[in-house]
Amino acid sequence: MGFTINAGLLDAMVLSIVQRNDTYGYEITQYLRKAVDISESTLYPVLRRLQKGEMLETYDKEYMGRNRRYYRLTSQGETSLEEYREEWRNHKKKIDSILMDEGAEENEQA
Amino acid sequence: MNKLEFLTKLRNCLEKGGMNSDDINDALTYYEEVFLDAGFGKEEETAASMGSPEDVAVNILRESGIQISGPEAFDPQPAPAFAAGPMLGPMPQYQYQGAPVQKKSANWGLRIFFAVITFPIWLPILIVIVTVLFALIVTVLSLVFAFIASGIGLIAGGVSALFVVPSVGLMLLGAGLIITGFVLLLCKPVMNKAIPALGRGIKGVCNWIGGLFKKGGKVNE
Repeated sequence: MGFTINAGLLDAMVLSIVQRNDTYGYEITQYLRKAVDISESTLYPVLRRLQKGEMLETYDKEYMGRNRRYYRLTSQGETSLEEYREEWRNHKKKIDSILMDEGAEENEQA
Repeated sequence: MNKLEFLTKLRNCLEKGGMNSDDINDALTYYEEVFLDAGFGKEEETAASMGSPEDVAVNILRESGIQISGPEAFDPQPAPAFAAGPMLGPMPQYQYQGAPVQKKSANWGLRIFFAVITFPIWLPILIVIVTVLFALIVTVLSLVFAFIASGIGLIAGGVSALFVVPSVGLMLLGAGLIITGFVLLLCKPVMNKAIPALGRGIKGVCNWIGGLFKKGGKVNE
């Protein structure tokens, strides 16, 4: 990946994955790997941060005779995910206007 | 590095970093789960993909607000537990406390459940194995018995015929002696090796069945 993913973006992506359905650490990493080069050890601090910020909560579910920790989005998590998405749309638009030469008229006006 | 080494080192580093035990256990639960989810055969691979436990610990500590210079901070006593190896010192205690006893019993219950559920599959297979081994022993024993009987019969017949038709008697006697010789030659290795081997086979199967009930069974794994 030529572009770095910052902490905020990673938080937003994790929230989005968990929003789709409740899931566990290993699966979240596998999902993120589709887009970002990330290891399980990068994910743990992210999950901790989101838990402490009360955007995610956990519960244990039995799987093959052991407990697996599942993550669930809180209502606060929903709200901040929507904020993140809005922010990303704006950010993307601004970047695209330059990088993809989109909305050039606007720039000329400015 | 395997799972145990990784988790032990990670715990040591987090303790040295002064993290509280709840947070340490939370982190270790997460990392143990990663190993389990990655699969049993992939411990080394998984550990390698996560980087050194020291680096992992630094990231966790930083995230929880503990400032630490870097992985070197853990160096003064570099991984004392495993450097010595199992032969030179007492085996290091695995300090990870994430697996409560109740978890084990759940595992147990599940295994017994599976053993019972798969019972229609493995019972016939076991019966077939035991039966085949038993049939082999019986076959070998009856072959030996048949040879002995024919040897004795031919010798006895030869001796009695010797006085009536000496040539036929001698022939029968010779044949009987040849067969008896063969039996004696073959008997030694057969009796010494084959029969105990078959016996061991049956004993092995029995032990294995016993093991199923002791450990809850490998059959379902």
